Amino acid sequence: MPLAADMPAPDFALPSTTGGPVELAGLLAAGPAIVMFVTDDCPTCELTLRRIATAGAGVTVVCEAPAAAASRLAARAGFDGRVLAEPAPYETSRAYGLEAVPTTVKIAPSGAVAGTVVGWDAAALSALLGADLGADPPARKPGCAARSTYDAAQLAAEAATGDDDPEAMFELGWTDGLPTVAPTPERVAAMLAGRDPSASLGPVPPGMGDATLERVAACAVLAGCRPEHFAVVEAAVRAMLEPGFNLHGQAVTTQPAGQIAVVNGPVRRPAGLNPGMGALGPGTRGNATIGRALRLVVALTGEGMPGRLDRSTLGQSGKLGCCVAEDEERSPWPPLHVERGLAAGASAVTLLAGDAPLSISEHRSRTPEELAAALGWAAATLWSPNWWPIGAATLFVICPEHADTLAAGGWGKDDVRWAIWEAVRRPAGELRHGEFTARVANAHDTELVPKWDSPDDIIIIVAGGEAGRFSAVFGPCVGMDWSPVTLEVRCDT
Amino acid sequence: MRYVSPYDPAARTPVAAAPRPETLAGRTVALLDISKNRGAEFLDRIERHLRERGAEVERCRKPLFSRPAGGELVERIAARADLAVEGLAD
Repeated sequence: MPLAADMPAPDFALPSTTGGPVELAGLLAAGPAIVMFVTDDCPTCELTLRRIATAGAGVTVVCEAPAAAASRLAARAGFDGRVLAEPAPYETSRAYGLEAVPTTVKIAPSGAVAGTVVGWDAAALSALLGADLGADPPARKPGCAARSTYDAAQLAAEAATGDDDPEAMFELGWTDGLPTVAPTPERVAAMLAGRDPSASLGPVPPGMGDATLERVAACAVLAGCRPEHFAVVEAAVRAMLEPGFNLHGQAVTTQPAGQIAVVNGPVRRPAGLNPGMGALGPGTRGNATIGRALRLVVALTGEGMPGRLDRSTLGQSGKLGCCVAEDEERSPWPPLHVERGLAAGASAVTLLAGDAPLSISEHRSRTPEELAAALGWAAATLWSPNWWPIGAATLFVICPEHADTLAAGGWGKDDVRWAIWEAVRRPAGELRHGEFTARVANAHDTELVPKWDSPDDIIIIVAGGEAGRFSAVFGPCVGMDWSPVTLEVRCDT
Repeated sequence: MRYVSPYDPAARTPVAAAPRPETLAGRTVALLDISKNRGAEFLDRIERHLRERGAEVERCRKPLFSRPAGGELVERIAARADLAVEGLAD
């Protein structure tokens, strides 16, 4: 119930849309105060505000919304008076017993309620304000439920669609060039699900901004993630910040290096990841937004914005984000996280540093040996045709049809790795053109130099649609002293 | 703030550059080789020019170009040199 006449009006201190907090006590120092509670999406509130603006009556508006939305309401209504923003949890509205908006309360200098009008009522409001609000219809119009009366489900629905303003995100620079979702306090809170927002995952290179969970959640919201994606985002950020990953080098290099997240285990399902047809995208929200969230953590919290501290000569579209789920169920082999020491039932993310994927079309090979050689030779020009060995872990994404051919002879992933490594070697004498390695420089002309130092540098996952003999390989980030990092995704925290 | 910022304000505080010295004579200049290809050749030439202008030169090197210089190296440069030049990129 709204407060009855003569009851003390609760004090408040709310931020003005033009900056700085405003207290009721301060308003009353100048005489009686008229406080009008509104929401930004209530047509009656907008009507009332417009009529008050036309009459030039002095009211202080308290809008149950973040400041940006409150400002937009005022602009729509042509109201240039004082507007205070009251985002969730609406303590002031509750203290005033608000049920509907608009609710207009007159408060005497003594601090006592002098009168209240609920809804648009031209005559009653004119009397309360001591101003003529005119006789244009409608004479009366009921309003909407106050947000302070919403239950948790209504607030959650509100948070999901809340204060969207992509243009505001562009103005702030919180974007990778595509529209982002505004990280409202409600959305960030939903992402954090009660966890400590100030908990730190560590400094993010190159600018060394501290990755608090709240900032990581803000990046996840900006990227378009939903709360069910956040466990993967958090684990991936932790992995990315491991010293052995050397994110610093990747973030500032002139190379087109991005961060590639490979996801394994049960979390693929709740995160809605697509290991099947079109696994490298686009088209799936989980893949697209998780990868994008990582890149926004680097670009925003880490200050590694392309064109500023990120000095990549060309960049590449994978730097918008790259998150791949392995199709463990379709694969004939143990999944990547098991190869890297985690339990089969665990969920995990493996971070790699690399470029855009290179598609490998190979329809003729009928034996594992032929196919392994074809896959390997397709990768022989990665980084540079003459740069052997490449000196960095290289991710192959093997499509199901290729995996079947490779596994038909009883080959495991180690056999595939070994066959690729052994097939792709060239005499040093043929490699001394342009840019070449010390190993090539120091070898005899006929000495065979492999493309990879060791079969262990060849990382294999299975993903993709049932039809088609198209695998892919990601050119690695080179010369940066980085290693793949695998961390468990914990969904219970 | 109407939104939750992804930024860390501490990482966004600009650090003012040290004032430019009037002269190089008698000053010590640290030349940091970041271990990029042929960076040392560039710094050799810079060293010659600096010495011609009366500066002392302190050569130093970080082990890998893609990782930031460690605290000890930065402290050594700060303690021994008045100015620093970094030989960046290939």
